[in-house]
Amino acid sequence: MLYEQSEILKDLTPEETQQVLALGSRVTVSGGASLFRLGDTAERLFLIERGRITLTLPMRIRGKEEDVIVEERSSGQAVGWSALLPPYKFTLAATAPLETEVIALPRESLRKYFAANPVTGYKITLNLAVVVGHRLQLFQAMWLREMQRTVETHC
Amino acid sequence: MHLPYAIPTEVMTMEMFLMALCVSIFGLAVVAIAFGAATRPEKSVSTAQPELRPAKPATAGRFFADPSPALPSPPRSYVPTEVLLAKIEHHVRLEQAAAQSFLESPSHAQLHTKTTSQLVN
Repeated sequence: MLYEQSEILKDLTPEETQQVLALGSRVTVSGGASLFRLGDTAERLFLIERGRITLTLPMRIRGKEEDVIVEERSSGQAVGWSALLPPYKFTLAATAPLETEVIALPRESLRKYFAANPVTGYKITLNLAVVVGHRLQLFQAMWLREMQRTVETHC
Repeated sequence: MHLPYAIPTEVMTMEMFLMALCVSIFGLAVVAIAFGAATRPEKSVSTAQPELRPAKPATAGRFFADPSPALPSPPRSYVPTEVLLAKIEHHVRLEQAAAQSFLESPSHAQLHTKTTSQLVN
């Protein structure tokens, strides 16, 4: 993966990219394994290096709780940005449908790095805002489509 | 010839008046009976009236109650949970694609494009 093309590391210089990546550690998640669960304390931001991560939410189907897919993230994309936002709790569950490699960036290390390198911190924060904003806009549109169907069906 | 006693004129007048009154009452009674007989409807041969039956049996009045019996709902076809989950996943992917198209060129038409998802169709 070209880290410069990563959504979180976009516009960083190669040197800045290397500095940020050095803060993290590579984690291999086997196929079907969980990366984090809903409600867990969010300590690390994950950058997907290889593979795929499925984000799910629990849904009650026929009296049984089932994980329903909400979003799927792949190489170059980030998951777990709840680690940078209070109250630092994951609001989704993340599972790897196949063997996946991620770079786990601890919140505390990032915070210290951002304090020492505000320009890089600003770039990453801006990239993160784009990711968060895109998710918001996407789900806003999805929600409205569902509302439209509800109105057409029941009103 | 002289009557042994003389009838006073007032008494005679009273007798005549009472006689006229009796005749008048009798005549009025005859006229009333005759009028009643003339206006009385003819009796039918059969006095028993045919009973009118309502088209539907009468039901007790109830608020917001549908008097017609509820139709039994058709049995829902059983879809295995795995198939249902696959449909949900497919639906989410289609919806995300539709929402993504809307974000790329926001318009009312793009926002409300119809879906082919089996979950809602």
